[in-house]
This record gives sequence, C-alpha cells and structure tokens, in this order.
Amino acid sequence: MSVAQDDKLILGTQVFGSRLLMGTGKFSDSETMVQAIEASGSELVTVALRRFNRDRQEDDLFGPLSELKDVTLMPNTSGARTAQEAIRAAVLAREISDSPFVKVEIHPNPHHLMPDPIETYEACVELVRQDFVVMPYMPADPVLAKRLEEVGCASVMPLGSAIGSGGGIGTAEMLRLIIRDSRIPVIVDAGLRSPSEAAAAIEMGCSAVLVNSAIAAADDPVGMAGAFAQAVSAGEAGRKSGIMPRSDQAVATSPLTAFLDGSEPRN
Amino acid sequence: MAEGNSDMSVVADMPDWLNPLPWVEIAQTADVGDVQRALRTNAPGVRDLAALLSSAAADYLEPMAQRALTLTRRHFGRTISLYAPLYLSNYCNGGCAYCGFAADRMQERSCLNCSQVEAELLALKAMGFEDVLLLTGERCPQADFDYLFENVRLAAQHVHNVSVEAFAMTQSEYAALSEAGCMSVTLYQETYDPDAYAELHRWGEKQDYLYRLDAPARALAAGIRTVGIGALLGLSDPRTELICLYRHLETLRREHWRSGVMVSFPRLCDEQGHYTAPYPVDDRQLAQYIYAFRICLPDVPLVLSTRERAVFRDGLAGVGICRMSAASRTTVGGYLPDDATTGSQFDVSDTRDIYAFCSMLRAQGLDPVFKNWDAVFSALSEPQKI
Repeated sequence: MSVAQDDKLILGTQVFGSRLLMGTGKFSDSETMVQAIEASGSELVTVALRRFNRDRQEDDLFGPLSELKDVTLMPNTSGARTAQEAIRAAVLAREISDSPFVKVEIHPNPHHLMPDPIETYEACVELVRQDFVVMPYMPADPVLAKRLEEVGCASVMPLGSAIGSGGGIGTAEMLRLIIRDSRIPVIVDAGLRSPSEAAAAIEMGCSAVLVNSAIAAADDPVGMAGAFAQAVSAGEAGRKSGIMPRSDQAVATSPLTAFLDGSEPRN
Repeated sequence: MAEGNSDMSVVADMPDWLNPLPWVEIAQTADVGDVQRALRTNAPGVRDLAALLSSAAADYLEPMAQRALTLTRRHFGRTISLYAPLYLSNYCNGGCAYCGFAADRMQERSCLNCSQVEAELLALKAMGFEDVLLLTGERCPQADFDYLFENVRLAAQHVHNVSVEAFAMTQSEYAALSEAGCMSVTLYQETYDPDAYAELHRWGEKQDYLYRLDAPARALAAGIRTVGIGALLGLSDPRTELICLYRHLETLRREHWRSGVMVSFPRLCDEQGHYTAPYPVDDRQLAQYIYAFRICLPDVPLVLSTRERAVFRDGLAGVGICRMSAASRTTVGGYLPDDATTGSQFDVSDTRDIYAFCSMLRAQGLDPVFKNWDAVFSALSEPQKI
C-alpha cells in the first residue's frame, strides 16, 4: 500500500496523522528524547522492553514516554534471539504498557542486528493470534513481506540498511517490489541518515519511516527531529502531487504510432 | 574437575587461526601512508588495524579519536552501559605471577556466603545496578563451580543481567551457568604469547593455554549469549597481543554468529602484586589502541573498568568505550557496610561514587544506562546448536 493509495496511515484500528515514527534509544537523556519526539510530531514511538526500568525512574524510558499526549507506544522486542523470546517479551511489554502494538525485532547477532526472517515469521504468527497489532522489522524481502501480510501483520517494516549504519536506502530495488505488491503499510525502518532520505522513502511510496539513530546521533537531535518531520511532509506532498517521471530520452515531435490512425508517415 | 587439561605441554603451539603474522610486521613497520589509508577506508580490516596500532599512528590520535567518537555514537548512541563487579571470593589456587590473588600472595582470604552475597546485591541495586559481574579466583575448594552456580542463581533473582568472570570451565558447566541465568562470561587470555603464558602461569589448571583459549567458544556453544575477551596489557608485546585478540574475536564471530563478543582493555600498572610489567602501556598508547579497535570493529562493545584513572576514563567515555564499570569495589565484601579487610585483585584508580560518575557522564552528554537487558529474554534460552 503506497502513500498515493492511502490518505491516512492506518495501523490496526488506529489512524495516524504523522508518517514519521520514532525510536527512543541512543539519546543523551530522556528530556532530549521527549523534546525530539515533540518536535517530530510523531504519534507512534517504539521503545525497547529492556529499557523499561520500573525500579529506577531516571533509567526508565517507559515512564516519560507514557506521559506524552497524543503519542502511542509501540514496545519492541529488541534483544530477542528467537521467536519464543520475542513472544515472551511482547506479552510482558503489553502487560506493562497496555499497548496492543508490538514491533517484532529479532536479531540473533548483536553486532549487525540483522533481523532473523524465520524467527520473525514464527513470532508474528503467534502474536497475531494473541491479538497484538504486529509490526515486524524485517529484511527487505518481497516474499517475506507477503508472507507476513498473509498471517495478519498490521504493517511490514523492511530495513533501508543496517540499524545505526546511516547507509540510507540501500535496499531501494527490493523496497519498490514490496511497496508495489503490498496491501498493508510499508514502513522503512533502519538505516536512514538524513531528512532527504526520509523524503525519498515517502516519495517512492512508503507509508511511513521510522528513525532513531539519525535523530539521536545528530548534533542537535531536536532540530533534526523537526527536519525529518518537514522532510516526511514534503515527501508526502510531492508524492501526492505527481512527481515528474525521470527521463533522459528525447521525445519525438511526431508520435511514433501516428501511422496507426492513418496520419502522414513520419520523415 | 575441568576436562581437557590432562596432556598439557609447557609451551603451547599457537593455533593457525590465531597466528598474528604477517600483521605484526605491518604493525611494526607501517608508515604514515599506511595509517592514512587505514583512516580513509570504509571497511577497515586486520591490515588497517595493524597500521592503526603502529607507532606511525601515534601522530594521528586526534583524527582517530574523532572517528572513534562518530562510530561509537552511531552504533551505541549517546549512552554508556554500566555494570558493577562483585567479588565473591579471593581464594585462589592459581599461580599467575602478576596477580594479587595468586595462591602464594600473602593476603587475607575471604569467601562470601549466601546472605552476604544477597546483601551485596541489594547494595548494588540500591545504587541502581541491574548488570552485575560475579568474580572469583581460579577454581578452588572454597569457590568451586557449585559455589559459583548457586551465586549466579541467587544474583539472577535480583538483577536482570548476570555475568561471570572466573575460571575456565567445561561446556557442560557453562550450559549449567546459562540455565541458572548467566548472560555473559568474561575470560581474558591474559597473554596470547605462548612463551610468556607458560612462564607466567606457574602452576594449576590455568597453565593449559589452549584450554583457556577455547573457553569463550565453549561458553557460547553452551548458550551463553555474550563473551568478554581481552589481553592483560603489559605482559607481552602489546601490538602482537591486540592482533591476536582481534583474530580471536573474528573467529568467535564466525563460529558463533548468534552471539556477542565484547572487548576489554585491562592493563598492568608499572608495579602490581610485586610484579613489574615487562611491556608497560602508557595512556597515549592505550587510547590509540582503543581508538583503533573502535575504528576497525565499529559494532563491538568496548569496555573500560575502574582500574583506569578517572581522567582517562572520562576522556574515553563515548569515544570508543561504550560500557564501563562504576563505583567498583575489588575487595571481597567491598559493598557491605562493615568494609572488607581482604586485599584486592587490583587497585581501583577511579574511586568516584555512582553519583559522581553519572554526573560526569551527563555533563558530557552521555546517558548512564543501568538496565539494558531484561530477564524475560533469558528465561527461555536454550543451548545453541553446534
């Protein structure tokens, strides 16, 4: 499902006005994190269960996020190596946060953090069965995207490039296939470095983007969050306005098919 | 008793996969051009590491630090993960010539009982710690595997992340620790130089170089999620040690892809435990080595303990280093109100309390993270297939 077909971003039964989703790790303090979220206009933010700390307020990300108005929390299962671990984490996170949303993140290798497609699929099957609004972080694989759609995921979240890499949309060719064939929102998650890349993702038809490192690691995270918000809006407006096709070819002044209408043959 | 150490030789043969040649030669002969090339490349490898460890790179500390900052921030954010060591026992059968715990060192010996361990855990919890490293000396009757196992189980009831730094174990022992709630195992090879290793480890189980070298792999094969490795800098030529360390890490990552590897940079001070380090590493050198590792291993957690002075730690926090101990006591029972009388394995150089340390991090724009794990993940872990 692309922006062109989809006026509003709908996930589960909830409608979102902003197409910018934010991650909450990597900030220098929770005040900056909160200010950045406010500046981003994001209405859906993800937070790792492992950063919930009910015993220590100043170390807890859930507390300050839960106080934000007009922001829905989407706990994620970052840290899980298997489907079983992710399911367990999702259930606990729902108990604590009371949010039906879950971002399924299963990356068995803690260095490159690439998602495990097999474990992700298995976790999604079970979490859909348990009535979660399931949003899987996944490799940019068009077949896996359809398999996850078929089991009832609310969206797919293919990576643009590795988490934290700032590699941009390195998977553009696969993303185009995913977007073309998807009936659910496609949200690029991971790898975006600059606002222009977020605009490009929306222009190519992604329903939304999720950004964390590019904002948290910027010199001015709050300023960068605002810049991403504008870029996502610009990308959406551009997409809806009909982007001029890219073409380096000359266009013949006489139509090449005029002869079919009995017109004069071309010179 | 541990398996695999019955046929040990005095000096082990270094396995081929660990061989630091020819990279050591590059580390010894690299020129400015090699360093500049290493700093330009997008995906630096072992050749670039060797160049960045070289004396030629000593003139490039500032650009190396700048790059280390960028990479650390990109991969780990503006955060520092905090942990605390908890010394369970300083009884030791080991004969490490450089160590304050060695069996022939005259010092008060002590071993915490369950209620004392619990009291220490509560003291650490009160400071905010959710990530605790349990330590013992070498395997001995007072602090054997069963003792360690029980304390892992106890600690896992109190904190989310329990790690162990003790003696080399069998795979089945590591599997049992994993099931008891141990998330990670730290085990330094001390020195990768087989000759130095044989000379420095004068008796006991630890004399078996290859058995120790293989221990992190056994831990990961047994289901432990992360291993911490390192060389105790000062014992042998540091560039050779660090290239071996890098190769050890590379091998672990290839063979245990579901696992994490962390790297620490312990170093001996000039004189410690009546032992003078033959290859002392000064601050500028250690900073250079840490920057080099960050540049060549951008997604590997690099760890620095309170063994280092405050000013040095402050300078490296977030600039290569992303995981640090804080407010540490290296005496047995050190967190208990009636302070311990035992000697320590090493002296703590950064003696700031947790509030002072966190204030420093915050002043540098770094978030001290106490909880970066949740026990919910470990409840279902299974031994990894090998």
